Amino acid sequence: MMGNLLEQMGVDRDRIHFSWISSAEATKFVDVVKEISDKVRALGPNKKFVKDYIK
Amino acid sequence: MTEKNIKIVSFLCNWCSYGAADLAGVSRMEYPADIRVIRIPCSGRMSPKFILSALREGADAVWVSG
Amino acid sequence: MDTCIEKIRAIGADLLAEGTVEKVIGFANGSIPMATRPVALTSEKDMDKLVFNSVCGLNLANYVSKNSLSKKEGKIAVVAKGCDARNLVTHIVENQISRDQIYIIGVPCTGMVDKRKIAALFEDEITGFEEDNDTLTVSSPSKTETVKKSDVLRHNCRVCTHRNPPVYDVMAGEPVEEQTLDQPYEDVDQIAAMDPDARWAYFEKLTENCIRCYACRNACPLCYCPTCFVDESGPQWVGKGQNETDVTTFHFLRAFHCAGRCTDCGACVEACPMGINVRDFTRKLNKDALELFGWEAGLDLDKRPPLDVYSPNDPNDFIK
Repeated sequence: MMGNLLEQMGVDRDRIHFSWISSAEATKFVDVVKEISDKVRALGPNKKFVKDYIK
Repeated sequence: MTEKNIKIVSFLCNWCSYGAADLAGVSRMEYPADIRVIRIPCSGRMSPKFILSALREGADAVWVSG
Repeated sequence: MDTCIEKIRAIGADLLAEGTVEKVIGFANGSIPMATRPVALTSEKDMDKLVFNSVCGLNLANYVSKNSLSKKEGKIAVVAKGCDARNLVTHIVENQISRDQIYIIGVPCTGMVDKRKIAALFEDEITGFEEDNDTLTVSSPSKTETVKKSDVLRHNCRVCTHRNPPVYDVMAGEPVEEQTLDQPYEDVDQIAAMDPDARWAYFEKLTENCIRCYACRNACPLCYCPTCFVDESGPQWVGKGQNETDVTTFHFLRAFHCAGRCTDCGACVEACPMGINVRDFTRKLNKDALELFGWEAGLDLDKRPPLDVYSPNDPNDFIK
């Protein structure tokens, strides 16, 4: 629901990720990191919800 | 900030994903260096405040993993 | 609507005379026309102070939790519209009060009026306000206008589907007919149809006048935390100034704390001195709660709120 409200406010859905990985699933961990990283790279830097001094 | 330098703030549960990250590390697996890991004692410690805080402080994305 | 008030007063007087309750929380006329204020009355002689009309926009459930935090107090009677009663149920479900601490005087409600809409008809100050069923007569030094109540209803009352209290000890009138709506969340869908940057701009524009007075928080019966996240200083989650990011963060988190609990009573919008429709945030959450969990807050004393319990049927598509 939080993701949905952020989306409603115009933050890209691909900036918030949730996952469930067991401590034995190192390969899944690597896959998920790659996937998220690719998605976020495609979006570029975030400009929303950021404090001025960071921008 | 260039496209190559993105920051993904990751909240990893001590018992699940943090363990997976550790295992990935000792297994010498390669993965993108964009994530900044924050270990939380349990996924239940997670709060919406953390996500907003991360975004406010300049994270490009947030990843919560149990 | 005006017919209810005699009944409310009679019930209140009886309850106080019998000693069933220690006090009665209801609405009284405010110091200016077209305004009401909450009152807690302890004597049956004061009952004629109670009013119930179309400008009782605040939510009285708010005053119960803040009143009865010390459990020593006796029973309290509350004059409750549909939404007030739903918020009382929410309080009970969230263990803020127990069911036997309150006596709910249910009032069937035909909606409250949007004072800003009426004020917009006048250039000068409103000095008189009368209502007779569906006709409102509003006057100022320069003119008198007659408006139909249904034309100036608040948006949340227009889309309200729970006008009668779902839980009550006594009803002060015949239940009114509930509305059925084809598209209850049209406003949310309109925003959702915009592209992400336009949505972001919409919410930036919406909150640009916010003065961070926290009236929306204080008017909300759901906001009873002893220390609100905006007042926390270690760590400080959100800055206290009028910086855009801080304002949006505040509104986002305030709304999110109401997820699955909000009854869309409109007290936040009523209280806002800057006329910000803060319901744009909570409405989306209400819509999601209904669509994802089939949940509307405050209807049932025995059901736990969706974000409170785990169910195997919970939607989990968002988890990888």
